[in-house]
Amino acid sequence: MADIRPYTIAVEDERLKDLKTRLSLAKFPDELDEAGWDMGAPLADVKRLAKYWQESYDWKKAERELNQVPQFVTNIQCEGFEPLAIHFIHVRSKVKGAIPLLFIHGWPGHFEEVLKILKPLTEGGDGVKYPAFDVVAPSLPNFGFSEGPKKRGFAMEQYAETMNKLMLKLGYDEYVTQGGDWGCHISRALAFRYPKYCKATHLNMDSADPPVFLKNPILALKHAITPYNSREQHGVTRSNWFDQEGRGYNLEQSTKPQTLGYALADSPVACLAWIYEKLHDWTDAYPWSDDEICTWVSIYWFSTAGPAASVRIYYETAHNVDGRKDKIDREKMRSWSPGVKLGFSHFPMDLAVRPSTWVRTLGNVVFEKEHGSGGHFAAWERPDDIVTDVREMFGKGGGAFGVVRGVTGYTS
Amino acid sequence: MSTASDAIEPFRIAVPDAALEKLKAKLALATFPEEVDFSNDREYGAPLDDVKRLATAWKDTYDWRRAEAELNETLPQFTTTIGVDGHEDLKIHFVHKKSEREGAIPLLFVHGWPGSFLEVAKILPLLTSGDAKADEPSFHVVAPSLPNFGFSARTSKPGFAIRQYAEVCHKLMLRLGYDKYVTQGGDWGTMITRTMGKHYPEHVLASHINFVMTRPPSPLSSPLLCLQYALGWYTPQEKAGLERTRWYRGPGNGYTQVQMTKPHTLGFSLADSPVGLLAWIYEKLRDWTDEYSWMDDEVLTWVSVYAFSAAGPDASVRIYYEATHQPEDFRAVMGYNGKVPLGLAYFPRDLMVVPSSWGRTLGRVVYEKRHDRGGHFASVETPELLVADLRTMFGKKSGIGAKLPF
Repeated sequence: MADIRPYTIAVEDERLKDLKTRLSLAKFPDELDEAGWDMGAPLADVKRLAKYWQESYDWKKAERELNQVPQFVTNIQCEGFEPLAIHFIHVRSKVKGAIPLLFIHGWPGHFEEVLKILKPLTEGGDGVKYPAFDVVAPSLPNFGFSEGPKKRGFAMEQYAETMNKLMLKLGYDEYVTQGGDWGCHISRALAFRYPKYCKATHLNMDSADPPVFLKNPILALKHAITPYNSREQHGVTRSNWFDQEGRGYNLEQSTKPQTLGYALADSPVACLAWIYEKLHDWTDAYPWSDDEICTWVSIYWFSTAGPAASVRIYYETAHNVDGRKDKIDREKMRSWSPGVKLGFSHFPMDLAVRPSTWVRTLGNVVFEKEHGSGGHFAAWERPDDIVTDVREMFGKGGGAFGVVRGVTGYTS
Repeated sequence: MSTASDAIEPFRIAVPDAALEKLKAKLALATFPEEVDFSNDREYGAPLDDVKRLATAWKDTYDWRRAEAELNETLPQFTTTIGVDGHEDLKIHFVHKKSEREGAIPLLFVHGWPGSFLEVAKILPLLTSGDAKADEPSFHVVAPSLPNFGFSARTSKPGFAIRQYAEVCHKLMLRLGYDKYVTQGGDWGTMITRTMGKHYPEHVLASHINFVMTRPPSPLSSPLLCLQYALGWYTPQEKAGLERTRWYRGPGNGYTQVQMTKPHTLGFSLADSPVGLLAWIYEKLRDWTDEYSWMDDEVLTWVSVYAFSAAGPDASVRIYYEATHQPEDFRAVMGYNGKVPLGLAYFPRDLMVVPSSWGRTLGRVVYEKRHDRGGHFASVETPELLVADLRTMFGKKSGIGAKLPF
């Protein structure tokens, strides 16, 4: 355990100056009249944010606030790859029987997304009324303040291996996960690769396909004859919007991440616009403050691996660059994962909003909750809902109660 | 209703010093993605070493003023203002060179993305030459910068789609006194000239396209083509073409998906980062050509036209959004048009390389050539092949030349 070192975010002044210089030289496009958000991030917004970022935003203040949360770094090595310094938040509950919970972010997210649910889960979980959790929230390799691999082929298998090794290193022989976006996909990879350690996953994204009769006859039948409820109907509209208008970034990042990366590395405005569009489109009218957005994007701009590196996860997951067997690809992640309990919280403005029968093809779903509002970044937009759902899933009477050997989340 | 003057003014490219300085200032600050083992693997995108080398040359050694002077000397350029129904008047930049010969055929050459008027440079002297053999036709050539590209104006209202691009090009030909003309185009040039053929069939006497865009056969409309597809009754060249097409429609389509849905978001990258712009375009110059040896200067002139464009480099990608949000226009391009004789050229490293039987669903095909080399930018990579196509298609004995009124 000796090589788990405390970590303090400390961006050098030189980099702050460089950011401001670039922003001062920013060259903006023009915009079509009345385009709104349909064609992408609106010019007025991005200009305002860029100006705020340059002139008024105080990164050092944000940095101090982030550093109030206990952070660490440790080297984790995946088979066939070099060791990577992995940055993570780690808060242990005072309750002895606290459940170890691994919070996994996605793209364009990061470790910061855990902040609103951190205290309620760790301190608010008193072990009497509410179950208690130890929370681990890492920066994924290539994100935040973790290093990134230099070798190609760092895909779902490696992300899962890194996460699992981290939890084991912290002394958690068994644990559960919470995540959306890549947090959802990596949780699925954990379920397939490490069902011995990863006992349950709570997910806030519906990455699932419709049930097929040959594989899930009962679900397929149910899907065929039961009309969609209003959530599911709205979900069709929302999911179609994402498929038709919202997936461009995904295809580019899955095919030519390097080409896209040049702009992200060279222009803070490019980085801002590319991410800010998602912060708007993927949330349910969340009232982002300029400070919130600047901190969010700054974590990308000042990330250890650089903003260009973060998009490689899409390419590596979509391609089998070294011809590995049993690659964890999209099809695999949408198949049944035995031995791991699943929970789903459905939020209407997420990107893939699928019927219940679809997510139940993924495994033993022991918890499912529908919400009337909220979007993709659920832990940030609806922290209370995530906390409530996680407590319900893992607490007394919940579908995953006692799933981690020896710890129930309660003082005995 | 346009109140624009009909004047045609000579034009010389003259990028302001301030723009050159700003470009160099940004390039001096250029920050590249951190190098990893696969930074030069073209599969992941534009290779790092290439982009670094080009960016450094762009900053230190590339001479835009020399390129500018050469363009002004070799390409006779003009501007004129064209009004478009429902949109503003647009100042249109174009190359125009008359043939040395009598009875030459007026030819409109339409570029695409990430192309430009530059693409006419190599074929211009060949097409307008008076030295062509007796049977070989000669041409008056008009090569505009499309609105939002090159040195033409920027459009500001939504809804400027293929129909509008076609209107601009047609009105330009009329303005130049060419009531009847033929067209040549690839990429968006294909879409735009096909749309011109649909809406102005009395004026567009024939069209040659080097980017043959068709729908895949559907069982309802073309059952025989479907059968052919299912049974794989294609030549080896056609099969290779289908593979290439599949690549384009799948892994090669990232840029299209971004540009047709969120052009404004991408626009911030293209406007603010010259390195970002360079990489975005250079990747296509490599991936879409058939081992064409791009010289660094060539690439940099190509990208500079985008960087210094009147509308800004971000404006050019909006055509993808506008066109795909008007599906009727798109469908019209791929439907049968029997009024305009069609010439088809298939280059193996183009993006959509469909079987000949599919190409023939587009109209009355009077000329067809499946080349064994060349890619998407035919007039740059294999100008002699493209010119040979046109000379044959429009020859008096070899093609339809005798039927044309020139």
